[in-house]
Amino acid sequence: MILYFLSIALLILLAPLLLSYIKATKMWLLFKRPISIFQGYRDFSKLLQKESVISQESSAITYYAPFLVLSPLLITLFFLPPIVHNAYYVSFVDAFTITGLISLSTFFLMLLGLDSGSAFGGMGSSRESFIAALVEPAMVLTVFSVSLMAGNLGVGQAGVNLAEHFPKEHMASFLFSGISFFILLIAENGRIPVDNPDTHLELTMVHEAMILDLSGVYLAIVESAASIKFVIFASLFASLFMPFGLEFTAPIAILIFIFKLFLIATVVALLEVNTAKLRLFKVPNLLGLAIVFAFLSLITFYVLGA
Amino acid sequence: MFQFDALSLIFVLLIALGSIPNLFYSSGYLPHIERKAHYQLHYFTFILSMLGVVVAANGLVFLFFWELMSLSSWQLILTEVKNKETIKAARFYFIMTHFGFVFLLLFFLIITDGDLHLGFVQMQSIAKDFTYPTLLFFFMLFGFLSKAGVVPLHVWLPYAHPAAPSPVSALMSGVMLKVALYGFFRFLFDVLYPWPLEWGIVILTLGAISSLVGVLYALSEHDIKALLANHSIENIGIILIGFGMGMIFDTLGLATLSTFAFIAALFHIFNHMSFKSLLFMSAGALLHQTHTKNMEKYGGLIKSMPVTAFTFLLAAISISALPPSNGFLSEWMIFQSMLGSSHMDNTALKLAIPFAIFALAMTGGLAIACFVKAYGITFLGLHRSNNAKHAHEVNFLMRSGMLMMAAVVVSLMLFTPLYIAWFDQVFVSLGKVSVYQQMFPDGIWNIHSVGTNGGVVSPLILLAALIGTTALMLFAYKIFGVKSRLHRTWACGYKTSAKTQYTATGFAGPIRRFFSWLYKPNEHFEKQRIAGHETKFSTSHYEVHVKPLFETLLYDSVATLVNRTSYWVYRLAHFEQTRYAAMIFNIMLIVLFSYRVFSHDFSWATFVLEGIVMLISVKILIIGDKK
Repeated sequence: MILYFLSIALLILLAPLLLSYIKATKMWLLFKRPISIFQGYRDFSKLLQKESVISQESSAITYYAPFLVLSPLLITLFFLPPIVHNAYYVSFVDAFTITGLISLSTFFLMLLGLDSGSAFGGMGSSRESFIAALVEPAMVLTVFSVSLMAGNLGVGQAGVNLAEHFPKEHMASFLFSGISFFILLIAENGRIPVDNPDTHLELTMVHEAMILDLSGVYLAIVESAASIKFVIFASLFASLFMPFGLEFTAPIAILIFIFKLFLIATVVALLEVNTAKLRLFKVPNLLGLAIVFAFLSLITFYVLGA
Repeated sequence: MFQFDALSLIFVLLIALGSIPNLFYSSGYLPHIERKAHYQLHYFTFILSMLGVVVAANGLVFLFFWELMSLSSWQLILTEVKNKETIKAARFYFIMTHFGFVFLLLFFLIITDGDLHLGFVQMQSIAKDFTYPTLLFFFMLFGFLSKAGVVPLHVWLPYAHPAAPSPVSALMSGVMLKVALYGFFRFLFDVLYPWPLEWGIVILTLGAISSLVGVLYALSEHDIKALLANHSIENIGIILIGFGMGMIFDTLGLATLSTFAFIAALFHIFNHMSFKSLLFMSAGALLHQTHTKNMEKYGGLIKSMPVTAFTFLLAAISISALPPSNGFLSEWMIFQSMLGSSHMDNTALKLAIPFAIFALAMTGGLAIACFVKAYGITFLGLHRSNNAKHAHEVNFLMRSGMLMMAAVVVSLMLFTPLYIAWFDQVFVSLGKVSVYQQMFPDGIWNIHSVGTNGGVVSPLILLAALIGTTALMLFAYKIFGVKSRLHRTWACGYKTSAKTQYTATGFAGPIRRFFSWLYKPNEHFEKQRIAGHETKFSTSHYEVHVKPLFETLLYDSVATLVNRTSYWVYRLAHFEQTRYAAMIFNIMLIVLFSYRVFSHDFSWATFVLEGIVMLISVKILIIGDKK
């Protein structure tokens, strides 16, 4: 039980670090002087001290929605697969609930974008709703195929099952669903081929546009929600698609898990440096790819049993 | 004459839950209506006739109440008779509902052997002896599902529901469509059981197509009530996906999974009744205050109409299937039953089900987009018109109607185990296996899927956790006393005004562009340029109309075909009487031959022979020699 809460605290603490790490790696690769990887924490504490400016056009949604953006994600953290072998974990909560909770958070974020009456917010919400609608089917199909391989629909249990008996015979469909999930990780977190988190240019931004009118504590909450969302996806990827390292004792297993998270962050950073952002209307092609891989994974599982 | 078995009673409960809050709302809405006596008479007839349909025990009573239901709702659509659009919508509804009625009548005449007083049990033996059960199935499909609004028989819905007064739209969309589904379920279970595998697949396919088509057209809609009507098509599709899965599992002998899928479908029927009624009531409140159904004229209404905004938000979360709402729970059950398809032996079917999963998931994603649009454009931002500026909260009766319906939504969320126990009873009484114990093996906290290694969801814990976390954070926020200040919206130096906000058209823009192969949008764009500049203009006007594909393709082309044929026949009859007489002779031949095929044994040899005879006679007598 202690390990359970410890791992949740660890994930929350790691969340800003990971995003800063991606940013720093990207800057380093581009021969810029990298920011400190602790920049995320500094931003957070700075924002907490600031006065928050609230739009006079906004309504009660602005007061409550930031909390409702964060709380489903915080709850999701409790349902993730375990990091250490014999730690407590919630075995039964299935991926639909997790997808649903993430959608709930996005739903309120999109409402938040429309609340202040600014054109930027509307633009961000409109684009986000477009992307989220296409992410949903790929997500469900990927989850279905992983749960078939793991032999359980519960996410926690699936992670444990995969670590204990890795389905070598289903390697092909495992790989396909892994590719599909990685595309979803990028799309859901607004990383580069889909959305550029560093820019404030209205042609390109999605997530930033929705939160343009927030400041102070509200901005801190929504920003940390974004980083927690990344950590959720990264740790799901680490547990479901890199199912090793669970059998060691606590400190080593945790270190391996953190290493896996940083590995994923590095891959994302490398991808961001090496690809250009897609036009909004090219994004469906990428997500279509995710859907096709999810279908492929299911078909190989059913037909070839591989 | 009447019967009160479990299936009837559960639909009586549905009608009661749907119409009691509606009574309050309706009496609050009454001052808005001109022809009060006409409205009241038909309103109560409508509710009573729906009750009559679900408790009818023989064909005659069923058909009587069914027709009464159709006619009273038709009159209710005509409440605001001065509007030309209303008359058109009512005529369309009248034709479509009687199109379905013809098939129902044929269905009943066949399964009762002409004696409409027979009970449902006696019908079963007659139906068993009938040579073509699939024909009966298709009669039912046309008869009941044209009323329920399944693609491609859905075209009347987006016209008829917005035209009716809002309490009636809530009843029609929330309850009447479900009564149509009741008829479908009742006769499938009582009369046509057992089903071949193909029927289930047909239902599943229709459901998947309906759900996608419904939500896609809803997204392109700016009339708030038409948007909701399109969402009814979507939700009927979702219900049919669940029901079709149940039928498939039933024929494959997976008894527990089939009951699970049926329960999911019935649960979604209840959920859709609750949130769709609530949405239509809120839309009615908006219409009542702003006198327009156009979403582009709303905006910022959350400040002046907080109760309406709250109820709409609750229903929007529920219809978007976001946890822990009741809509999520039933959609979760339908997903779980589809994931149960991995237990099937039929590989082709196993490979086909993921496409239905894809359709349902896509529908969910698009529904979220649609309701962000509907809620955000309507209630958030700045007032987009003077009508919205002068709106204020509706009267007490309407508010209490909405709050009562909100309570129904919440009760479906909180007391899921109770409702599921009832649904389970219904299917046990229809001779299915009970799955309640398997769904709730350890108390009411967790809902388990019945598939092996299926998923689990714990709605109450989720709800408590969500409320708890949010409250904790809000509490912390209050305690720390964060400084905040009001200021105008920062829009990068530009001034924010009602005109610079995103519109509903703009919001759906990316999706409309992506699906332009379906929408075939018709765009008009004009701007008054200043001194010939391309980018500087004083006024601009953009309009986009989405062509309803099914209407133009199926209905308009049928109308054209009928027109042309009738012109051809007219020409023959007036100018070439010999060929006209020959045509009559041919029609008589067709009737005779088809009677033989229909009521005697079918054999390919005679069928081909008759076909050749028909062809020769048509060629010689009607078409004649080429000149």
